Amino acid sequence: MGDALACQLRVIGALLLRELNTRFGRDNLGYLWLFVEPALLGGALGTLHYFIAHAMPGGLNPFEFWVVAYIPFYLLRGVINRAPFGIPSNQSLLYHRNVTILDILLARNLLEGAAVLGALVVFLVFFGIAFGHWPTDPFKMLFGMVLMLLLAHGLSLMISAGAVYTELFERLVHLVTYLSMPLLGAFWMVFWLPYEAQRLALWIPSVHIFELIRDGHFGGAVPTTYDIGYVCAWIAGTNLLGMAAIRRARRDLVL
Amino acid sequence: MIRLHDIHKAYKTHLGPRPVLRGIDATFRPGEKVGILGRNGAGKTTLLRLIAGVEYPTSGKVERQMSVSWPLGFAGAMHYSITGADNARFIARIYGKPIQETVDFVEDFSELGEYYRLPVRTYSSGMIMRLGFALSLAVDFECYLVDEVIAVGDSRFGERCRKALAERQERSTLLLVSHQAETVRAFCSTAAVLNDGRLTRYDDLDQAIAVYQTV
Repeated sequence: MGDALACQLRVIGALLLRELNTRFGRDNLGYLWLFVEPALLGGALGTLHYFIAHAMPGGLNPFEFWVVAYIPFYLLRGVINRAPFGIPSNQSLLYHRNVTILDILLARNLLEGAAVLGALVVFLVFFGIAFGHWPTDPFKMLFGMVLMLLLAHGLSLMISAGAVYTELFERLVHLVTYLSMPLLGAFWMVFWLPYEAQRLALWIPSVHIFELIRDGHFGGAVPTTYDIGYVCAWIAGTNLLGMAAIRRARRDLVL
Repeated sequence: MIRLHDIHKAYKTHLGPRPVLRGIDATFRPGEKVGILGRNGAGKTTLLRLIAGVEYPTSGKVERQMSVSWPLGFAGAMHYSITGADNARFIARIYGKPIQETVDFVEDFSELGEYYRLPVRTYSSGMIMRLGFALSLAVDFECYLVDEVIAVGDSRFGERCRKALAERQERSTLLLVSHQAETVRAFCSTAAVLNDGRLTRYDDLDQAIAVYQTV
């Protein structure tokens, strides 16, 4: 048991390093792109809204609001959009019996999570220096990012497994993440909505996570609504189903 | 020891399931050098993949009581967008081998010269084969699964592979699949014939080759 765990950790470590190499190479900015890419996107969006901004409910700084919304959203979307390609682009590694699909996806998603978290930290420091506003509770934000990664990971397991059987996932995943953008809760807050709509919105697990992250950042400046137990149930459900799905898919996979 | 229990394998195709292996039982003991002879399409590569655990049987069970290599052939096992040296580092990490030692060993054995520091996708098929074989020797498996590959390489490298395997005579098992009787004769001491989805073992190499030539 201890040996198996040590082996799995070793494999995930090796996959992380390899993923770093293949995704970012060793030239130019290399690994720096890891942070720069989400940071640029988040920063551009924040700046845009800063200049065209109407006043935000609760008097929030629009730059901060959009960055703190966009970066966790970038994580969720990135992990899900890349999920259908997780197995095909690493297929040759499954020739090694101790490399599992779960290891491959864990390594990819951990890397994505670390990158996006790095970008978020850079912004939080920038907000602290530029606007004099430091996060009310950074641990809530970190916790929110971890929950987002876990939820995205669970979904990515199911999508990766599905992609073994049909091209549909590969074709539709971008469309679905694009269309669901307004529903996920990144760019609005629960308290902006009328009561009936709030109740519907709170069925969506990511809504709770964005609210948690905003609670950590803005604290009591605005009311936030979330239920961590509900999110954890979703994480457990998606991960368990996802692991069962990749187990099945591995048996049917033709390399 | 490797045991195959009633292995069946069928692939899904547009024309319905195509059975490839239809009930294979076999035991391979430590130190045995077994050639598996079969015509093109007989299911040799499939059998090797199932033994390696790269693919799974439709039904039946593969029991492995020794460390088994990945199937050594042209495809798989390495990453094409990184260099040969990076592949050696990766293999060392996942199999828990000392990294620098592995990198040096593979560089020395594969004789890739400066290509060792270039991405694998720039390699010729012969170079990929040499890298794959060197990587697997660096891990030091108890059983090597070889997919015709050595015979295809240039004869000097083939000779070195044969030597490397012979040095491990005592502890290493070799399963070599081939459609050429000469290859099997060069590397193996016993043989089996894969025909019609079934595997028949012969203790006597000549007998196996004689049977193979009639199918």
